[in-house]
This record gives sequence, structure tokens and C-alpha cells, in this order.
Amino acid sequence: MDLDKAMTISARGMDAQTARLRVIAENMANQDSTGSTPGAAAYRRKTITFENRMDQSLGVSTVQVKHIGTDPGEQQLRYDPSNPAANKDGYVKQPNVNSFVEVMDMREAERSYSANLSVMQATRDMLTRTLQMLK
Amino acid sequence: MDPTNIPLFNLAEQRLAWTDRRQEVLAQNIANLNTPNWQAKDLRPFSQALEGVAGTALARTEPGHLAGTQDTAAQSLLVTLASPHQPDGNAVSLDDQLTKVADTATSQEIASTLYKKYLSMFSLALGYGQ
Repeated sequence: MDLDKAMTISARGMDAQTARLRVIAENMANQDSTGSTPGAAAYRRKTITFENRMDQSLGVSTVQVKHIGTDPGEQQLRYDPSNPAANKDGYVKQPNVNSFVEVMDMREAERSYSANLSVMQATRDMLTRTLQMLK
Repeated sequence: MDPTNIPLFNLAEQRLAWTDRRQEVLAQNIANLNTPNWQAKDLRPFSQALEGVAGTALARTEPGHLAGTQDTAAQSLLVTLASPHQPDGNAVSLDDQLTKVADTATSQEIASTLYKKYLSMFSLALGYGQ
């Protein structure tokens, strides 16, 4: 039934946004994770991309996570000679996480999640009404 | 008496099938809100679906011609919408899609209520009371 498919598509969309939120949480949690050996690289921001894929068993295309990669952006240096990750000049590599970017991303994920939830709710109402025709 | 031959039942049934299908297409658009290069899709309006504009199957002018294997009615009902692109190539407008979801839910409610009301008239005629 098409309404069931619509529910599954929305559920997959919510799954994808949940995965995105998980990646954002990882980035936010690690925004101060520096290396532990002198000159070591700090935490690299993770990125997530989605793709549209045909679900053979359902016969519809659903969304899913394509790839979780890392942001190759440059890591800034901060002067902190007492840090175990400080290089010989006393500079420590900082994670390339920008909390403003992450918060914006989080808002977008939240918005997309609730959009999927609204569709699911509308679909459920439609299903209920169809069932009520039997009464 | 075959209830599917009653015009209102037949029409309501087609309308419900159309709203079901449309809801699926809209769910797909919204699930792909953040998928790069995704183009929003929609169904043709119900009036067009009813007229059978969608049934653009290959004409069989010779007895030897084979019938197509594709469900052309369902396939060609689908249209891709041209809307402004975001930098990632995604062309889904959330407000637009959610309005359509609400619209589909309302049409489904109208069709199912009409169907139910009409059916209750039958039980009334059969003496089951209301």
C-alpha cells in the first residue's frame, strides 16, 4: 500500500537526520580534543552526505547516508607549551570544529526531522481515516 | 448490485488511490530534503489523472504489436517540478511540500468522509438505522 510506503520513506528520512545529528554531536563533543603526542594532529571535524537509493523490496527510492568523511580544513595552532601535544615551538593543533557551523547544521537537521515527522503524522491520519471507513 | 459501478464510489476510490500515491511522492521529496541534486516530484492534478491524460501508452496499430510492460498510467503521472536550486543542486522547497501534504490530507479526508456518508445511506435504506 502506498501509505505504508510513505511512512517507510519518512522513517528513513528521520533515520538519516538522526545519523546527521549523531555526527554533529561527535563534532561538538570533540571541539577541544587535541592530540596526545608532541606535534600530533587534533580531532578532525566529521562530515556526512546523503544519497537517494532505490529500495528493491519496497519499490521506492529512499534516502540514506552515503558517506561519513572528515573535513580536510586546516587546523589552527594555539600557543600552549604545557599541553602534551605541543610541538617544539609550544604550539598545539586545534580541532577544525566551528561550533557556529555545527549549531546551524543542528538546526537544519532538526527542521528536516520535524518535516519528516509532520508527513508521517499526516500519513497516519490518512490511514486512520481510511480504516474508519470500515466502521 | 456492484458497488464499484456506482459513480460516487468509483470516483472516491480513484481519488483515494491518487492521494495515497501523492503522499508517497511527497514523503520522498521531504525525506530527500538534504540530498544533493534531488529534484522535487509531484503527481499530475487529479482531474488530469481522471481524464486518463497519463495513459500515454504506445499505440498498437497492428495485431502483431506487443503491449508494453510498464505500468504507464502510474509512471507518467509523475512530473518533476522546476523550482529554484540551492547551491548543492537540491530543488525541494519545504514550505511548498508541506502545503501539498496538508492539501493531500484534506482531499483524502473529503473523499473518505463522502464514501462513508454514502455508505451509511445504504445501511439506512437496508433498515439498519443510524
